[in-house]
Amino acid sequence: MILTTKNLRKEVPSGESNLVILDDITFNLEEGKSLAITGPSGSGKSTLLGLLAGLDTATSGEIVLDGIDLHLLNEEERAILRKDKVGFVFQSFELLPSLTALENVMLPSELKSEDNPRKKGEYFLERVGLSDRQKHYPNQLSGGEQQRVAIARAFACSAKILFADEPTGNLDPKNGKLISDLLFEVNSETDNALVIVTHDQDLASQCDKKIELKLGKIID
Amino acid sequence: MLATLSFKLFMREIRSGYLTSMLLSLVLAVTIVSGISLFTDRLEKVLSSETQEFLGGDLKFESNDTSIKDVLETLNLKDSKSSEMAILASVIFSEEEMQLSSIKAVDNAYPLIGELELENSSGTYKTTESPTPGNIWMDERLKNLLSLEYGDKIYLGDATFVFEATIIYEPDRGSTNFAFAPKTIMNIGDIDKTNLIQPGSRVEYNYLFTGPDEEISQIRNILEENRNQGDDIESLDEDDSSLGKTIDRSENFFLLGGLIAVLLSACTIGISSQRFARRHISYVAILKTLGMNLFQIRGLYLLLFLYTTLLTLVLGLTFGWLLQSNFISLMDSYFPTELPAPSLYPLYVTCVTVLICQFGFIYPHISKLLDISPMRVLKNDISFNQNILPIFFMGLMAFLLLLYIYTNQITLSLIIFSGVIIFSFIGIGCIYLLLGKSKLGLGAQDPISLALSELRRRRLSNSFQIFAFTVAIGLSLITFSASKNLLGSWQDSIPENSPNNFAINITKEDKESMKIFLAGNDIEVDLFYPVANAQIVRTKDKDDIIDRNFNITWVEDLPGQNEIVDGDWFQEGVENGISISDEIAERYNLNMNDEIILQMEDGSIETYIQSIRAVNWESFSPNFFVIGHPSLFKEKSSTHITSFFIPEAKQKVAAELMREFRTVSVFSVEELIKQVRDIVNQVTKALNSILLLTCLSALFLAFSALQDGFDQRRHQAAILRTLGATGRFIRTSSLIEFSILGLVSGLLGSAIAQTGVYFIEARVFETIPGFYPEIWFMGPIIGILIVSGLCLYLVNGLMKQSPKELLKLQT
Ligand SMILES: Nc1ncnc2c1ncn2[C@@H]1O[C@H](COP(=O)(O)OP(=O)(O)O)[C@@H](O)[C@H]1O
Ligand SMILES: [Mg+2]
Repeated sequence: MILTTKNLRKEVPSGESNLVILDDITFNLEEGKSLAITGPSGSGKSTLLGLLAGLDTATSGEIVLDGIDLHLLNEEERAILRKDKVGFVFQSFELLPSLTALENVMLPSELKSEDNPRKKGEYFLERVGLSDRQKHYPNQLSGGEQQRVAIARAFACSAKILFADEPTGNLDPKNGKLISDLLFEVNSETDNALVIVTHDQDLASQCDKKIELKLGKIID
Repeated sequence: MLATLSFKLFMREIRSGYLTSMLLSLVLAVTIVSGISLFTDRLEKVLSSETQEFLGGDLKFESNDTSIKDVLETLNLKDSKSSEMAILASVIFSEEEMQLSSIKAVDNAYPLIGELELENSSGTYKTTESPTPGNIWMDERLKNLLSLEYGDKIYLGDATFVFEATIIYEPDRGSTNFAFAPKTIMNIGDIDKTNLIQPGSRVEYNYLFTGPDEEISQIRNILEENRNQGDDIESLDEDDSSLGKTIDRSENFFLLGGLIAVLLSACTIGISSQRFARRHISYVAILKTLGMNLFQIRGLYLLLFLYTTLLTLVLGLTFGWLLQSNFISLMDSYFPTELPAPSLYPLYVTCVTVLICQFGFIYPHISKLLDISPMRVLKNDISFNQNILPIFFMGLMAFLLLLYIYTNQITLSLIIFSGVIIFSFIGIGCIYLLLGKSKLGLGAQDPISLALSELRRRRLSNSFQIFAFTVAIGLSLITFSASKNLLGSWQDSIPENSPNNFAINITKEDKESMKIFLAGNDIEVDLFYPVANAQIVRTKDKDDIIDRNFNITWVEDLPGQNEIVDGDWFQEGVENGISISDEIAERYNLNMNDEIILQMEDGSIETYIQSIRAVNWESFSPNFFVIGHPSLFKEKSSTHITSFFIPEAKQKVAAELMREFRTVSVFSVEELIKQVRDIVNQVTKALNSILLLTCLSALFLAFSALQDGFDQRRHQAAILRTLGATGRFIRTSSLIEFSILGLVSGLLGSAIAQTGVYFIEARVFETIPGFYPEIWFMGPIIGILIVSGLCLYLVNGLMKQSPKELLKLQT
């Protein structure tokens, strides 16, 4: 198993009492497989993804990622885990505006102190079809292009598992299709697991596994 | 509707804390400016009335003859008053005793300013009259020395007088040159009867004037035109007393502190309004898409800033008032009268300052904000760095304007201004040169390469930060160093155990027994300086008498508190020459190596000018205009002067000394020393609070400059952490980056401070400028510590939030 969760619960303080955003989330995912998380807006999908990727901590429950007990790690250890094992694609791209497309893609390799970040960056940028935009800055790229850079960056992480939070949510249907195809296509060339949050039933049906959230709980 | 909306916006901004640093710096600036200008305004008023009283008028003309009277008669004075007095020294006889006294003969206009306090058998009383002919007033000491009762007969020259009253207080204390001798006041109409004034006798005539400024300056011009060599003109702005100088210099320091605090605050305001504008880009864009027109939006923001201005003025003026009343209460026991109410000038300065800050540092950002097209927001393009130069330029102009308003000197303003600009450019240039061209990638392999690449990448915003840090460090170092120098020079002028008693009129015979007496009482005594009177005549032009009597002494070694400014002190083997003070060199146009004749009571001496000295007249030790080589004076008769410190516990010794040596005049300057010391202590407290406030403004500036940079870093840190950078990694890298910025700014700040201190010492405090090594190591150390300390604080704030929360905050 690449990912296992058990009785995951997330509360946030809200006034006097606590607001339960996620409750009793238990599932697992085999290595190299893909998982779709669906559900209406506000059902807790992004929160769950953040927990799974180690960007945030759960109130209670367990997460085991590639054999490591994520819930037992502190923030510094989680950072190292993210560096070694996790890739992430956001709905709002989250590129660094002061870096060019190529530099954005090189970033994960730099952080890992790999030998030739540039070669790897150029490779993945070509893989998403943006070789000719290497030197462009994010504000010179369209939304679809920015998301392709973000996907190249996620794959450049050489992660065991890749998380994508509504990667097509900010894009028009045509670009959305392009992005989701790209995601599956590049993913098929690696043995990464893929966890993808989406509204898109088409996209969800391409995944090996699917869970649906409603008001913070998994419904079958 | 606009008003309610803008008020809501205002309250929201205040609550969110984003306006805090801008508000705080504005309030701080207003507090310091209004506090200092209120204080100095009141201080100046009280001082000028004190000085006026000390001088005896607004203008004083000193001469050795009455030739100016003819000129004065041609003057057609409408609103001014004048008074004549003659000052001389003579021996006064009572039935049993005799005593040397300084005599002030005054006309009926005396006193022009203030009133005298006298005492007779029926008690003390105040008067604004001069003594009637035939009557004479004397001070307490003289009354005792002559064993007088009120109504006793007094003999002065060929005339007889009646002792009418004791002088408790006379307003024009600055009038007498023989201040050491006990004093007599008589009517000038009686002078001829005494036959005291003969050709060649030593008399000084004083002409005092009061009146409106225009007439006084008119009189001054006429006096200047008709003055002879040796005549002296003194006016209110030339208070040379050590107290006057102390207060004058601290006033300069207060104004300097105020200026610096304002400049620092202005920079902070500039930075925080930039930050404010950046935060409001999407807000403005949304208002525009919702159909608000430019006019309305402009109105909205102008109202917002009107509220800010009002709030800061109310708070700042309140705090400023408290500040000045605190300062005043520290010092008011030294002023005899209730301090006058301040004029409107401080209020004006404060409002002008706030206005300049608004228009120079806030308005440009807002007006740029209004240009934002709604498209930018839809494209999620919130970068705001393009074309910031016009805004920066506006800020610089406002900076210069503030400098000018506060210094009132265009050259000084330009010097400070260009100093700041040049040093900042040097620093930015150094950074550019050292770092070289940007390399590909963020350099996130290790903290050091990330730090260096960040420095390269953020050149523009780094330049602003360096500018801000440099200004903060440089200006606080200037304040620090100026206050330290000021205090140092004060402490030097009155060292612990400095002589608090002077003894004059010591004869050769008394000299040895007095030495024994003092040694017997464990009192350390300074040198016994021989004193004689001499007139200087030029050898070349014997008619050109420098008609003034100088106290002259002769010693082997240069006395302390004296500094040779031209020529050399007496060398071994050369037994000739005199050393004169730079004042008389200038006043009588005497130059190095001029051949001169010293005419003394018992013969003349031909010699030359060997050196010119600067004398510290503020010091409490015997000072001389003329010092000669001892071997020239072997045959000359003289009395001696010395000074010594009598501790509090041995005050009885002073009385004993006076009883033992009746012809010696002993007088104490203890009171004066105490007063100067007390004032210095109180002023020090005020100086320190100014220093504290200035440093606080500097800290605000450094903090807001950093905070501004961190807004841009927040997003990057979140993404780096998402990609697996640890908190430690980011912290280390930021620390390296900001330590470098701090180091560079610190060095530049030191350079600015050293230059600034040079000009301040030379032009504001008028002392000899020095080199201060401590500035050079304090700057970099403070730079690194403060900048990296603040940076650590901000980074830790970022690390407390999870990357997820950070990214959420971004959008
Ligand atoms: N830090 C938080 N504080 C309060 N409420 C939160 C916080 N984070 C998420 N929520 C709430 O939790 C719910 C789930 O949010 P999210 O996971 O973003 O939903 P989804 O991604 O499915 O649209 C929402 O109702 C949201 O408002
Ligand atoms: Mg979501």
